[in-house]
Amino acid sequence: MTAGRPARRLEGLAFVTPFLIVYLVILIYPLLMGFVLSFQRADLFGARTFVGIDNYARLAADPVFHQALGNTFKLTLLIVPALTVITLALALALNRPTRGAAWLRGLFFSSSVLSVTIVTLIWRFVLTPDAGLVAEILQAIGAEPIPFLSDRNLAIPALAVTTIWWSIGLPMMLFLAGLQQIPEDIYEAAALDRAGRWTRFWRITLPSLRRTVILVVMLQTAAQLQLFGQAQLLTAGGPSGASRPVVLFIYEASFVRWELGYAAAAAEILFMLVLLVTLAQYWAARPREGE
Amino acid sequence: MLGAMLMAAPLVWTLLLSLKANSELMRDSGTAFSAPYTLENYRAVLQGSSAFRWLLNSLIVSTGTMIGVLILCSLAGYGFARLEFPFRRTLFVFVLLGLAIPEQAVILPRHQLFAALHLHNSYPGLILPGLAGPFGVFFMTQYFRAIPRELDEAAMLDGASRLRIFWKVLLPLTLPAQATLGVFTFLAAWNDYWWPLISATRSERFTLTVGLASAQMNYAQTSGLGFLMAQAVFASLPILIVYLLFQKQIVRAIAGTSGR
Amino acid sequence: MRLGQLAAVALVAGALLPTAGCDPGARAEIYVQRFFGECGALYGRETDVAKAEGECGIVTAMINRFAARNPDLQVDTNVVAWPGYAQLAAQIAAGDPPDLVTMHQSVISDYQSRGLLEPMDAILREAEVRPEDFTVAARRGVTKHGAIYGLPWDTVGGLYHVNTALFARAGLMRAGKPVLPRSAEELLAHARRFKAATGKPYLVQSQVNDPATHVRNFYTYLLAQDAPIFPDRDHIRLRTPEARRVVALFRTIDREGLTTRNQDYPAAVASFMNGEGGVFLTGTWMLGPFEQESRTPGRALFGAYAVYPYPRLWGHEAAYVDGHAWVMPKRERTPAQRQALARLLRFMAAHNFDWSRTGHLPAFQPVVESAAFAALPHRRDIAPLARIGFAPCPMPRSVLSFLPLFSGP
Repeated sequence: MTAGRPARRLEGLAFVTPFLIVYLVILIYPLLMGFVLSFQRADLFGARTFVGIDNYARLAADPVFHQALGNTFKLTLLIVPALTVITLALALALNRPTRGAAWLRGLFFSSSVLSVTIVTLIWRFVLTPDAGLVAEILQAIGAEPIPFLSDRNLAIPALAVTTIWWSIGLPMMLFLAGLQQIPEDIYEAAALDRAGRWTRFWRITLPSLRRTVILVVMLQTAAQLQLFGQAQLLTAGGPSGASRPVVLFIYEASFVRWELGYAAAAAEILFMLVLLVTLAQYWAARPREGE
Repeated sequence: MLGAMLMAAPLVWTLLLSLKANSELMRDSGTAFSAPYTLENYRAVLQGSSAFRWLLNSLIVSTGTMIGVLILCSLAGYGFARLEFPFRRTLFVFVLLGLAIPEQAVILPRHQLFAALHLHNSYPGLILPGLAGPFGVFFMTQYFRAIPRELDEAAMLDGASRLRIFWKVLLPLTLPAQATLGVFTFLAAWNDYWWPLISATRSERFTLTVGLASAQMNYAQTSGLGFLMAQAVFASLPILIVYLLFQKQIVRAIAGTSGR
Repeated sequence: MRLGQLAAVALVAGALLPTAGCDPGARAEIYVQRFFGECGALYGRETDVAKAEGECGIVTAMINRFAARNPDLQVDTNVVAWPGYAQLAAQIAAGDPPDLVTMHQSVISDYQSRGLLEPMDAILREAEVRPEDFTVAARRGVTKHGAIYGLPWDTVGGLYHVNTALFARAGLMRAGKPVLPRSAEELLAHARRFKAATGKPYLVQSQVNDPATHVRNFYTYLLAQDAPIFPDRDHIRLRTPEARRVVALFRTIDREGLTTRNQDYPAAVASFMNGEGGVFLTGTWMLGPFEQESRTPGRALFGAYAVYPYPRLWGHEAAYVDGHAWVMPKRERTPAQRQALARLLRFMAAHNFDWSRTGHLPAFQPVVESAAFAALPHRRDIAPLARIGFAPCPMPRSVLSFLPLFSGP
């Protein structure tokens, strides 16, 4: 190439610019607009007045918002570790070249292709206490049906189970991919050392999968902090807000109560939260990365 | 084995319910475990012209989003991984920060922006938001980085232009990554719910998720449970087929990208 | 600058993909939006309203018929997920609301107070629809600050759906009619007697994921006692002796096992249909399906179904009701469109009887008093609802935003 240096530098920019434009206009510009909105009293239909940090002050004192924050944390803590362990175990079990394993991998991935409307439709008729699948089974063995969706202590676990069932596919695939990258000869060496299955798992498999585990945990944490559709469609956040996550709070504030500014403030807080948690995880995973 | 049963039970349950007469289910959903079964609900789904319209919309939106993402992210991924330009690192971090932006923080202002631009109830209005996600850029950048530099350097010595190297040498090597990103993008667009709900408010632009929700009137679920389940199966089938076709590629591609 | 870029992106995207085409033809185009579900599969081409059944079927056939009879108009129908308010708010925010849209009467004031709805007095006059003909409940439902903001379409409320066969076994029938309680104490006495005689709970209630049921019961009996629910604009008052009485009654019923438990809406429907309880507290919309059961030999409800408004337990007769209405969001309309809308409104009003076959009460007094309506099963018994029905306050919006589908229509 004979082109001068400045031209080459701009050439690089040309490759990333199309994405950057879309990114700026469709993600960053609305984000900034939302930031401005969060300092206004604004409804959906146009009226705007600047109110300073009123919206944030209101959120700080709003017990409904506090409950929603608590629910979001509970859901994330219930879902992420369980999902990570389950999908890792599944990947270990299904990482073999048999037809049966391929079939099972397909089965465990299949739920991820369903849309949230369908997942909740299915689970409603699994969990519903009188006519659901669980209830039919319990009745068959003579037990009382359990009101999963209307008991304030069971609603969140029910959402968690539904979510785990729905999201098993992607992390399992990531782990499978990770497993296939571990060179066979390490295991062969271990076999010579007569290492047991557990030793091999703790000494070889898990350390090799470290990056995948981090990736799975980070992606899932960010995703579950933003859990929405399941809660809206399955329990509507009930009973008495016992399963209302932050995003449902935002949805209700904006499209049900039309308090756009208030919703925007809550959304900004959620953004900061996701950002902080992600950065914290990134930081926690960073130091030992010298391998 | 137990896990597989737990996993499959809800799916089998759905299939059974979809094969039962609505009137029977209304009295007792337990009848789903026993004959008689019927294909009546599927006939009803296929006769309703809207279901096909929604399916078509979903296909257009998902395919459009997938193609758009693949183009934008391949270009950007190559740029970030291989080329030198001002503020490259800063811009990359700036894009990564986008991973933390919840949809909900931008959806309302975006709704107003699109209203001002008359983009609601149009395919571009449904496709554009899906193109702004930073995950694809991150994913493709990682993949390009993993390709040995000697390849482009050799091509460079032959006097090929940047675009040519990208197009002829590197892009073919990223096919597995394209397949993976493509499938995940397609899935995400197919299953998106909130944005189409507030942007596609006219039924001729409904996607399947929104259309199916509109068909579920309040007590229809008691009188038409089998019908609803048949719709659910109908809506999920195309996407399941897409997945099954690409299953091998997906695993291989992830294997080629995630660990490096 | 950003806007410029965006416009460029939009242009490119627009050029690449097919966009919504608009018909520049001379036909006046009106855009109707409704809930009640999508049933094009069954009724997509039906124009004979009498052949249609159920909310979805009847409204679909009705609009088909109007479109067929008015070939000079282009009627676009948009079916949204119940109750459709998120979409409506989004459409209004985007400046593109429908011309005519279904709205619960209890929700009208939210939109009216924000100046989003058109007063409809003039267009109703043009359509020759007389507000004097509205029933008391319907007129209350659509009138805000002296102006009319909707074409009322029905009155929807809670009813006591009764299994008379079980009532007979409990000795609770007199002269072929079920004996309903006249006080809370009597209700408990009947319920205990019922349970002793039949071994089944007196009440069937859908209590799971169905907040509307609780709201209906609670508000109805607060209204009966004239308890002030809203002392001023910003407060709700629920810690009153009247409220405690209502809650205490339902708690006792629950504690003594005089009701079904842990049932969601479909489960409660199934349980009433299977004869698992005496009285099902649910809305007007189930009248049709239960009537159907009562005419089918071999079913638990065969020849054993009756239905009444909530009996007076305290104070006076009352019913917390709601109703559906057709409202016009504010937007620009051509004179031709206005005229087309007037024709549609006139048509809808003229077919109010057909709609009442859903089980909902008509919104027009002449229809309530008509022989045709009285000839429909059970309608005489529930007609008082159109008189005593009252909605002093909306169903809480959080209840109406409840997309999951089991609450009343």
